[in-house]
Amino acid sequence: MISRRTLLQSGTAALLANSVGRSIAAEPTGEPIYLGVSGPLTGPNAQYGAQWKQGFDLALDQINGSGGIKGRPLRYIFEDTQSDPKQTVAVAQKFVADKRIVAELGDFASPASMAASPIYQRAGLVQFGFTNSHPAFTKPGDFIWSNSVSQADEQPLNATYVVNKLGFKRIAVLYLNTDWGRTSKDHFAAKAKELGAEVVASEGYQPDEKDFRSTLVRVRDAKPDGLFLVSYYADGALIVRQARQTGVTVPIAASSSIYSPKFIELGAEASEGVFTNARFFPEDPRPEVQSFVTTFQAKYGKEPDAFNAYAYDTVVLFGQVLREAPNLDRTTIRDTLARVKDVPSVVYGKATFDPQTRRVLGAQSAQLVVRNGRFTLWDGVKTN
Amino acid sequence: MTSWFDHTINGLIIGNIYGLLAVGLALIFGVSRLINFAHGSVYVVGAYVGWVAVSVLHTPFPVTLALVVILAALLGIAIERFGIRPLAGAPRIAPLLATIGLSFVLDQTVQILFSPDPRSVPMQLPNWRLEIGGGSIGMLDLLIGGIGITAAGALFAFLKLTKWGWAVRATALDRDAARVVGVDVDQVNRIVFAIAAALGGVGGVLVGMYYNVITPTMGFEATLKGIVAEVVGGVGNVPGAIVGSLLLGIIESYGVALLGTSYRNLFAFLLLIAILVLRPNGLFASRHQLPPEPMTGTFIAPSKPIGLPVPLLAALAAFAIALPLLIDNGYLIQTLTNAWLYALLGLSLTLVAGTSGQVSLGHAALLAIGGYTSALLAADYGFPVWLTIIAGGLMAAGLGTLLVSPAFRLRGHYVSIATLGIGEIVALVILNWESVTHGPIGVAGIPPLEFFGRPLYDTNAIYWVAFAIMLALALLQVRLLSSHLGRTMRAVRDDDVAARSFGISLNRYKGLAFAFGGFVAGISGAFTAHMYSFINHETFNTHISVLALTIAILGGMGNVGGAILGAVALIGLPEVFRIAAEYRILLYGIALLLLVRFRPQGLLGTV
Amino acid sequence: MNAPVNASPITTAPLLEATGLVRRFGGVTAVGGIDLSVFEGELVSVIGPNGAGKTTAFNLISGLDKPDAGAIRFAGANIAGRSPEGIAAAGIARTFQHGRVFANLSIADNVLIGAHGRLRAVRPDWPIIGPLAELALALVRPASVRAEEATLRDEVSEILSLFGDRLLPRIDQPAHSLSYANRRRVEIARALAARPRLLLLDEPTAGMNPTETAEMLEIIASLKARGQTILLIEHKLDMVMRLSDRVIVLDDGRKIAEGKPQAVRTDPAVIEAYLGHGNIGAAAPAGNAATAAPTLPVTA
Ligand SMILES: Nc1ncnc2c1ncn2[C@@H]1O[C@H](COP(=O)(O)OP(=O)(O)O)[C@@H](O)[C@H]1O
Ligand SMILES: [Mg+2]
Repeated sequence: MISRRTLLQSGTAALLANSVGRSIAAEPTGEPIYLGVSGPLTGPNAQYGAQWKQGFDLALDQINGSGGIKGRPLRYIFEDTQSDPKQTVAVAQKFVADKRIVAELGDFASPASMAASPIYQRAGLVQFGFTNSHPAFTKPGDFIWSNSVSQADEQPLNATYVVNKLGFKRIAVLYLNTDWGRTSKDHFAAKAKELGAEVVASEGYQPDEKDFRSTLVRVRDAKPDGLFLVSYYADGALIVRQARQTGVTVPIAASSSIYSPKFIELGAEASEGVFTNARFFPEDPRPEVQSFVTTFQAKYGKEPDAFNAYAYDTVVLFGQVLREAPNLDRTTIRDTLARVKDVPSVVYGKATFDPQTRRVLGAQSAQLVVRNGRFTLWDGVKTN
Repeated sequence: MTSWFDHTINGLIIGNIYGLLAVGLALIFGVSRLINFAHGSVYVVGAYVGWVAVSVLHTPFPVTLALVVILAALLGIAIERFGIRPLAGAPRIAPLLATIGLSFVLDQTVQILFSPDPRSVPMQLPNWRLEIGGGSIGMLDLLIGGIGITAAGALFAFLKLTKWGWAVRATALDRDAARVVGVDVDQVNRIVFAIAAALGGVGGVLVGMYYNVITPTMGFEATLKGIVAEVVGGVGNVPGAIVGSLLLGIIESYGVALLGTSYRNLFAFLLLIAILVLRPNGLFASRHQLPPEPMTGTFIAPSKPIGLPVPLLAALAAFAIALPLLIDNGYLIQTLTNAWLYALLGLSLTLVAGTSGQVSLGHAALLAIGGYTSALLAADYGFPVWLTIIAGGLMAAGLGTLLVSPAFRLRGHYVSIATLGIGEIVALVILNWESVTHGPIGVAGIPPLEFFGRPLYDTNAIYWVAFAIMLALALLQVRLLSSHLGRTMRAVRDDDVAARSFGISLNRYKGLAFAFGGFVAGISGAFTAHMYSFINHETFNTHISVLALTIAILGGMGNVGGAILGAVALIGLPEVFRIAAEYRILLYGIALLLLVRFRPQGLLGTV
Repeated sequence: MNAPVNASPITTAPLLEATGLVRRFGGVTAVGGIDLSVFEGELVSVIGPNGAGKTTAFNLISGLDKPDAGAIRFAGANIAGRSPEGIAAAGIARTFQHGRVFANLSIADNVLIGAHGRLRAVRPDWPIIGPLAELALALVRPASVRAEEATLRDEVSEILSLFGDRLLPRIDQPAHSLSYANRRRVEIARALAARPRLLLLDEPTAGMNPTETAEMLEIIASLKARGQTILLIEHKLDMVMRLSDRVIVLDDGRKIAEGKPQAVRTDPAVIEAYLGHGNIGAAAPAGNAATAAPTLPVTA
C-alpha cells in the first residue's frame, strides 16, 4: 500500500522537479562552466540515466545556490548514448571538441564507457566514470578516473558482514553475469573463503533474466545456509521473491547495489529480512548523508537510492575540484583531482584519490537489514 | 537428484508464460506469414494499461483484464491497419521492418509516458499458494496456465468451428485463393491481430503481476522467447505454440539444472536450431510435407534500382575523403567513421540477405567473431594489429559460414529465425567460454589500430582508413556482383528450386555469400574492437543485428550503394535527432515507419 | 515435316528409362507405377488430363521430388533420389509448367544461369578448395574466365535468336517485366543453354495464343531436327501429333496407352479418359493475349 502512494508521489514530484530545475532563482551570473555527461536516457538502461539526472540536479542546486564556481554557474550537458559504444565514441568526440566542457562524466556500462576512453585520453579531457567498477577502467591513461567503489574494496566488507557477523558458513552466490558482477563475485568468494566459509554454489545470470526458479532449486540442492546476491535492485527483488516460492528459506544478503527503495517495492514482503551492506544509508548521522537525504526528499518526494547518490557525490566532488583548481584548463582539472583531499562524500565519507590508480579507496558501509518494509541498521542478531 | 520434479514444475511455469506470447505470434504468423516483432511491445502496453488500471484507477481484477483486452485489441487493430496493411504489395521483408519500427515507437512511447523506472504491479488475487515438491505455485501460475490453455483451446475451436475461423484458415493456407473465393482477407487480418494483441496484452499484465515488475524495455526479450517457443511448436500452429512453450520452459529449466544458470539461453537457442534443422515444420508436423514456404522469390519484390552515375559516385567519394580537411569537427568525423564501419556490416548483410535471399537476423555475431579474434590475437598474443584484423575477417568468414551452414537448408523466415538463434548462441558462447574470451570481463586494453606499424589515434586518420577499407570492400563486392557469382546468388534468391535444376548447389553459393559477407563484417568488427579498445559479449548485441537488417532494407536489398547510404542514414539519424533528447528514438522509429511505408523497396531500390 | 530426322537406334539402351515410378501425397497417388523411356534423339510426349501426374513425373525425373518407389536410369546410371544439381550435371534440363524464371535477373543472366553447369574456367573441379577458388577467380577474373564468359554471352545471343526478335531486343531487361509467353521462352532458352542431353518441357505453350503456339511448334521442331532429345508435356494435341515420335498417355497416375501418335489418338482408353475428364487439351480456349496470365483451365 505504501509503495503505491510513494510511486504516484514520485511521479508527480519528478514532473515538478523538471520544471523547477530550470528556474532556480539565486543563480550566479557569468559564463556557465560545463560538465559533459554521457549516459543512457533511452534504451534498456534509461532508468539509470534518469536517476543520475536527479542526483546531478540536486548537487547543482546546492553548488549554484551557494555562489557557483568562482561566480560562474555549473551546468551539465547530458548526451544520451543508450549506453551504446558507437554512440559513446561519437559523443566523446563531441565533448572533446566542445571547449566549454571541463570534464566528462560516464558512461554507464563498461563496454560503452571504455570504448570512449581512448578518445578522452588522447584529447586530454578527464573521463570520470562513477558507475564503472571494471577493474581495467582507469587503465587507458592518466585522464581516466573513477570514484566508483572498487569491488576489491567493497566485497571483502560484504564477506566479513555475512561470514563473521551474520554467520553464513555455506554460501550460495547469485551474481549478475557482467564484468561488474563477475569481479564482485570473485572478490567476495575469495574473502569469504579466507574467513573460513565455503561457497557451495555460484550462479551467474543474464541481465534480462526474469525467471530464477530453476536457478534457485539448483542452489537449494547445494544446501547453503545463506544466499548472497550480487544484483541490482530489480533483479535482486525478483530473486528474493522467487527464492521463497521455490522453498529456499535460508537468509539472504546482497551487495550494496540493491540498495534502493525500489528493491522493497518490487520485492514486497519477500524483501523482509534481506541483509545488505549499503554504501550510504539515509539514517546515517553523517552530515553529508543527512543533507543529501533531506534535500533529495524535499526535491523529489522520495528516498534516494545508490545511483542517485553516486551522481550526487560526483557533482559535489567536481564542485570542489573546480573551486580548488587554479584555472579551468582540462589538464589542471586532472591535476586537481589528484590533489583534492577529503572531499565530503555520501559514499566514502571523505573521498581522496590514489593518483596511481586514479580511484578512491576505502569505501564505507552501513550494515542494513530490511524490517517492516524499510532498510534499517542491522540489529546485531546473527542468523545462524 | 530429487529436484527433477521441481525443475519440471519450474519449466512448466516459465513455459506457461512464454505461451501467452507464442500463441499470438503463432496466430499472426499463421495468417500473415509475418514475424511480428511488435508483439512484445503490445505485451508492454498491456502491462502498463494494467498498471494504470490497478494503481491509478484501482479497478478490480476482472475489470483490469477487460480494460487490457479491449485496449490491446484496439492497438492490435491499429497496428494491422496502419502498420501492416499498407504494405500488402511491398516486398515481403517490409512488414517485418515495419514491426521493428512499430516496436521502437511503442516501447519509447511507454517509456516517455511512464518513465524508464521499473514499476510494481500489485497482484490482485489472493496470495494463496499450493505446496508442490520442494516449492510452491501460486494462484497466478494456475491462472496464467489456465488463460494460455483456454485461449489456445478457444482459438482452436474458433478456427475449426466458426465461419471466421474457416476464413482465417483459408487465408493462412493461401491468401490469394482465399481472396478469390470471397474471403475478406483484411477483416481476417484485423480479427487475428486483435485476438493476438489482446492475448499479448493480457500476457503483459499477468506476467507483470507475477514478477511484480514491469519495464518499458521488457518486450524484446519476450518476443525472442515467444518466437523460439512458436518455432518449436510449429510456426503458425496455435496449440503447438502452447506445447512448444512448455517444452522450451522445461528444456531451459533442465539446462539450468545440468550446467548452471548462464547456460539457460544457450539451451533455448540450441533447441531452436535443432528443431529448425531436424523438423523445420515444428515437432508436430507430419513427415511428408511440402517445403515450409512454397512461394518463390520470397522476399524480394521486383523494383527498379536507381542507378547513380559513376561521376557522381566518384565526386561523393572525393568529398568524403576531403571532408576532414574541409571542416574541423571530430564529432561529425567520428559519426561518419561509425557509419563506414556499419556500412561494412550493411554490405555484408545486403549480400547475404539481399543478393542471396538469406535474411540473417544474427549478423552481429559476425562482428563479434571478427572483433574477438582480432582483439584476443593482438591483446593476448601480441600479433600485429593489421594482421589480426585480417585474421578477424577470415575467422568471421570461416567460422560464420560454418555456424550458419545448418540454416542453409531452410528458406524464408526460417532462415531469419535460425540466424537469430545462431547469433544468440555465439554471444552466449563468448560469455561462457571464459578461458579464451575472458567471459563477462571482456577484453580490455586492446591495442590501437595501426597503419604500417604506426599506431593510429588521430580521429581523421581512423576515418580515412575506415573509409578506405569500406570503399575497397564495396568495390570488391561490386565486382563480385558483376561476376557469375552475382547472378548465381541472385538466382538462388529469386527461385532456389529453379536454380537447383540448373546445377546450382545451394550450399555452395549460400556458403560463398556468407564467406564473403562474413569477411566484410569480420573486418568491421575487428576494426571496431581496436577503435574501442574494449569489447565484451554485449558490445555486438542483437540490436546491432536488427540495425544491420534495417540498413540493408533501407538502402535497398542487394544494393551496394544502398548499404552505404542506409548506414549513413541510420547512424546519422539518431545523431541528428539528438536535440530531441528522450524523444529521439521515438522519432527514429517514426522515420523508419515512414520510410518503410513510402519506400519499401529501399532508398536506392532492390537489385 | 514431323518425320523423325535421325531415327533413334532402337537397339541400344534408352537414354532415360524410368520403371515403376511411384509418388504418393498423403492419400493421393500422383504417380502410381509408371514405366517410361526415351531414346537418344527421340521426342516423346506425355499427355493426359489435369492431375494425371505428368508434372509429378517430371519432378521425379529432375530430382526435385523423390519417388516412393521405382528406378530411374539416365545414360546408364541410376539417378533416382539424386539431388537436382546432380541430375542437372548428368545432362537433364527442364522447364516448369508455371514458369520459374528468375524475376530480377535480366534475360541474358537467366539464360547464363542455364549454362552454369558448363562453367569450367571459373569453377575448377578441385576438392574442398573449389568454392574458394571459384570466389577468387570470380573476383580476379583472369583471361580464361573472361574468355569463357564472353563465349557464353555470344552463345546466349545465339540461343535467343531462335525466338526471332521476341527476346533479343529485351536481352537486358529483367524477366519480371516480360510477358507471360516471353517468360516461357526465356525458360526454354535457359534450358537450352545447359546443352542438355535430355530436355524436359512442361507445357511450353500454356497461355500462348495460336500464333505463338505455332511459333513454338516450329522452334521445338527445329530443336528436334538438330537431334535434341525431348520429353514433352503438352495439352495441345495437334502439336503433339505433329512433333512426337511416341506418345505416352497418363491418367490418374497410370500409363493407359503408349505408341505412335496416330495409334494413341484412336485408342479407346485414351478417348475414354479424355471424355471422362472433359476434353481439356484440344479444345482449349485460344486467342488470349500474349500478356494474359495462364488462363487455360489447367491447374497443377
Ligand atoms: N506437392 C504436392 N502435394 C500434394 N499433392 C500434390 C503435389 N503435387 C501434385 N499433387 C497432386 O498429385 C496429382 C498429380 O499432379 P500433377 O503431377 O501436377 O498433374 P499434371 O501435371 O498431370 O496436371 C494431383 O492430384 C495433384 O493435386
Ligand atoms: Mg502439370
